[in-house]
Amino acid sequence: MLDHILSILIFFPALAAVFGFMIQKESMRTYGVAVALIEFVLSLVLWYAFDNNVSGMQFVENIPLIPAFGINYSLGIDGISLFIIILSAFFTFLGIVSLTDTPKVKYMIITLLFLQMTMAGVFAALDAIVFYTFWELSLVPMLYIIGAWGGPLRIYASIKFFLYTFAGSLVMLVGMLFMAYFYHQAAGVWSFSILDWYRLVLPENFQLWLFVAFFIGFAIKVPMFPFHTWLPYAHGQAPTIGSVILAAILLKMGTYAFVRFSLPLFPDAAAYFMIPIAILAVIMIIYTSMVAYAQKDIKQVVAYSSIAHMGVIILGTFALNVEGVSGSIFLMLGHGVVAGGLFMLVGVIYDRRHTKLMSEFGGLAHVMPRYATIFGIMMMASVGLPLTINFVGEFLSLLGFYQQSHILTLLAGTGIIVGAIYMLAAYKKAFFGEVTNEANKNLPDINKKELFGIIPLVIVAIWLGVYPKPVLGPINNSVTSIIKLMHAKATTELAKERIPDLTKPRVFLMKKTINKEVN
Amino acid sequence: MEKYLYIALFAPLVSSLFSLLFTATPKKLFTGIVASLLIITSLISSSILLTHILETGEPIHVTMMTWMQTGGLYIPFGFLVDQVSVTMMMVVTLVSSVVHVYAIGYMDHDKGFNRFFAWLSAFVFSMMILVMSDNYAGLFIGWEGVGLCSWGLIGFWFHKESATWAANEAFIMNRIADLGMLIGLFLIYWNTGTLQYDGAFAAFHQLPTATLTWIGIFLFIGAMGKSAQFPLHTWLADAMEGPTPVSALIHAATMVTAGVYLVIRSHELYSLIPHVGLFIASLGTFVALFAASMALVNRDMKRVIAYSTLSQLGYMFAAAGLGAYWVALFHLMAHAGFKALLFLGAGNVMHAMKDELDPFKMGGLKKVMKWTWIMMVIGSLALAGVIPFAGFFSKDTILEAAYSGNHMVIYGVLLFTAGLTAFYSFRLVALIFHGEERYKLFGVHPHEAYRFMLVAMSPLLLVAIVVGILQTPFFDMVEEVLNGHEYHIEHTLALIMLVGTQLFVGLAILYAYVKYANSKIKVPDGTSKIENSFAYKLLINQYYIPYAYEEYIVKPYRELSEFFWQKIDVKVVDATVDGIASIIYNTGEKTRDMQSGNLSTMLRWMVVGLIILLSLAVIFGFTVKYSGV
Amino acid sequence: MEIGLNHYLVLSTILFAIGLVGVMRRKNLLLLFFATEILLNAVNIAFAAISHYYGDMTGQMFAFFIIAVAASEVAVGLGLLIVWYKRHGSIDLDVLTTMKG
Repeated sequence: MLDHILSILIFFPALAAVFGFMIQKESMRTYGVAVALIEFVLSLVLWYAFDNNVSGMQFVENIPLIPAFGINYSLGIDGISLFIIILSAFFTFLGIVSLTDTPKVKYMIITLLFLQMTMAGVFAALDAIVFYTFWELSLVPMLYIIGAWGGPLRIYASIKFFLYTFAGSLVMLVGMLFMAYFYHQAAGVWSFSILDWYRLVLPENFQLWLFVAFFIGFAIKVPMFPFHTWLPYAHGQAPTIGSVILAAILLKMGTYAFVRFSLPLFPDAAAYFMIPIAILAVIMIIYTSMVAYAQKDIKQVVAYSSIAHMGVIILGTFALNVEGVSGSIFLMLGHGVVAGGLFMLVGVIYDRRHTKLMSEFGGLAHVMPRYATIFGIMMMASVGLPLTINFVGEFLSLLGFYQQSHILTLLAGTGIIVGAIYMLAAYKKAFFGEVTNEANKNLPDINKKELFGIIPLVIVAIWLGVYPKPVLGPINNSVTSIIKLMHAKATTELAKERIPDLTKPRVFLMKKTINKEVN
Repeated sequence: MEKYLYIALFAPLVSSLFSLLFTATPKKLFTGIVASLLIITSLISSSILLTHILETGEPIHVTMMTWMQTGGLYIPFGFLVDQVSVTMMMVVTLVSSVVHVYAIGYMDHDKGFNRFFAWLSAFVFSMMILVMSDNYAGLFIGWEGVGLCSWGLIGFWFHKESATWAANEAFIMNRIADLGMLIGLFLIYWNTGTLQYDGAFAAFHQLPTATLTWIGIFLFIGAMGKSAQFPLHTWLADAMEGPTPVSALIHAATMVTAGVYLVIRSHELYSLIPHVGLFIASLGTFVALFAASMALVNRDMKRVIAYSTLSQLGYMFAAAGLGAYWVALFHLMAHAGFKALLFLGAGNVMHAMKDELDPFKMGGLKKVMKWTWIMMVIGSLALAGVIPFAGFFSKDTILEAAYSGNHMVIYGVLLFTAGLTAFYSFRLVALIFHGEERYKLFGVHPHEAYRFMLVAMSPLLLVAIVVGILQTPFFDMVEEVLNGHEYHIEHTLALIMLVGTQLFVGLAILYAYVKYANSKIKVPDGTSKIENSFAYKLLINQYYIPYAYEEYIVKPYRELSEFFWQKIDVKVVDATVDGIASIIYNTGEKTRDMQSGNLSTMLRWMVVGLIILLSLAVIFGFTVKYSGV
Repeated sequence: MEIGLNHYLVLSTILFAIGLVGVMRRKNLLLLFFATEILLNAVNIAFAAISHYYGDMTGQMFAFFIIAVAASEVAVGLGLLIVWYKRHGSIDLDVLTTMKG
């Protein structure tokens, strides 16, 4: 079974979803929970069977689809993708468990299971076409979740989400086709295998163009400033479960793709574009944090905070050293857990009051003390307090980028200040003070079902903050091999300088001191 | 010995988690008792460690487990108990034990009794991590942890707008400084390859001075936030919104001294860069005077003590900046004792006066609160630096250090500030305990605090009285780590200085009594001449700094945020995206007319297309033909 | 003057132009059919003439193809036309706007 575990992980939920149409409405929930649980257990089996000492791909499967063009159904995971797959199964499970009174719950569960298929597919794919297929397929269930269960503006939001990301991925597809064409030119055979592409060294000017093509697709998905405006609408209109999955997993596709494609395929271009992208990331961090501060709707605060955290992830990815890239991958997981948790928590209060405006609340800590405590923990994790999951990722990402630029890191670091500002301000508005609104006087505290969804996230957020080693170790191995590959492939002086050479013993003394950069 | 190390460290955590279980339930006395017992356990373990250090002089170093490891970075949870950290551990556990017991009485009627102990013990745990860690990252964990607990405790009465505002202010200001600290850590890592103290200190000697200077500056920015140095000082006075035991523990004895601890801990760095040290000393001296001046006129009992804390932190930084690390640590220790005593005394007064804070509305409390009066007087004497109390020894050594280092300006300012300190301390004592019983106008019936609270305070009283005598043994203990030396000034000169200082301080105290202990003091109503003078207004408004922050930083930030959202995000970025979409959509709308469904029209369009294509073909054909390819 | 390839091509062009104008201007579906027939036959003439000129039979083959296709097209088209006329009572193009977008 282990040989095909990735295929099972991908197609089991899809198959279960198809059977789901035949299940009776009343028993659908149990069915969904059971399927998601099996899926989650399977992903844990994957982790158990994963060999931590191997930095390359494991559980590889390869079935030719269109041999003439070198398109294969090929799957495999390494330390980078393993945990995102586990996280997606985890969130699908928690999402289905904590589904509150949704209309047409049967179809929601079926949609979620399909979504799980596409998510597992994206992160396990080792073939560009397979990757692209799942990447695009993932839009469909999400479109459906927002469009069918969303708020009043749901049609606008879902179409915006779909068309925006779809337009970006078409540019990416063109890039992939060109990449395959260049591979054909160089090697004489067609191949869409990512691992084959890794071995191809492209001239710098080709790299720059292809990098831009991929970048547009990924940047919209992340979403990077200034391509981010679909996200607040999507989050604002999506039902709780939609926001949770969107923030926790779907956004990570973009940053994951940067690590999987942009870095190892185009090391020169990555080094070349490092500073401009870092500037975008800094803008993402500061600007969206400020926008988050101005929000009236607590869900939008969390939505904009997601963008700011994605900025830190991008910054870590483009640090191009092991510390930064490992940190950014860890932060992907961290942000998934924390933002997912925060969206769930916002959902709790939305279910009770059917409003998300902070001005409607105030003093909730009096009436819902347990809810306030859990919200506080997750908020502090989001702010990046040490011993929570986000701190490890943020610390490593910023630490990594510090090797590349002092000033940009300093600016990005202000994220920890402005991040605290909007989060604490929001928390104060919603939870502190006297209960002024009559409607809030008798709100029931968080109930068992909701706790069941949120407590595992709290545990993970603290556990991985205190002891990140089980996750950080495999990530570190895979990232080290990617950085080695990048350094070996780099052709330009700039790239050789910016991507550290891990084969030599490390010398710790920054080449440039701050003084130089200041002058 | 490792066993005691772990007990000292984790007993507060256990205590916090235990109390956490009961946060949502009504007051349970046993949470307070269990928490206090666990903290006392920690105190006992720390004492055992202290005796061990005193006997053998060998530091205890343990590595519990790996925290982060990736690339070249390796950060363990490692703990180091040496002469410096054991001093801090003693200070932290002693004051927190006292405060825990005291709080059982002080928080008696509070709904959030259990929650209070959860936060308070969590604070102790964070503080222990801060002082015991063997690397900068571990220190940063504690650093942020105490910030969090300080947030939770300042905003403990979260129904009060002012309390939550102050909590957020404290957290955010600390975050500003934490960024500096974080950058300092990054610089250390990328220059030395490690964040362990021993490894980094060894590597510092090979680094260029410019790099060391930057590291020193950024670390000190971190210290400035936590220790509330100018310009990040405003949060400390506002933090007095928290319950008084919190002010005693966090905002007087321990957390605010974390910055001083950081500088002392990094003394190997700062002794390599004396110019940064001089800057630290100058800023410290400035803050000492600056804060003391604000304490002169303030009408809020707790704020006066808070400003005096600020001022004393300035003294500590002055000492540390001048390279007298052991003196700074000694003053930190002595200060923790008498300042916590003063705060707890103030807490007794507040309890008696139904949370009244204005000393002008009290007066003559000596009769009903005799023990509190005695304690506050001794605390104030120690703070003022009167011989033979604790503050005399520590503060006098700071002055000696400044004098023997030939920093006459620093010496002069610090000496002058010592006079101010004596004045405002006794102004407070005189207003509260002496003179007319003005509280009767407000219908309050004061009473002495519970007996056990007073007993709980007695260890602090002891510290305030006797700690000065321990100066030489203390020096012998820490000199091994801090490489300090005792300051010896020529005997006659030293005697003159001593007498001069004491005389100056004595006069200040006398003046305070004469001015404020008489029966003519009235509750000020804003009409007296002094209240309308410029200097008074400047001081009572804290040099208009909070106002300036509100007006020139907070408001513009809020407005800029609104602008970014309403104007840039919605009107520019999103409108561009929607604009592109609507261009495409409108093009579709417009060209839709072509699909009129009328075959004849469509055929005409077809012919037009045919002609266009044909002409294109012809043009390209000719181009190819005549381009000579 | 001998009649050469150019004459045939000119004839073909003129016929094509007539057919094109017919396609554009005619409003009656039946006459539109006539116009398309003219277009097709203009092309047929060109095919046949060029085929003769090069001595290559492909062009003439194509002409036959086109005749065959045109015939079947007319057969189907007229059938549809009659049905349409029976239903709507008119074969005026301006009335046929059910495909309006």
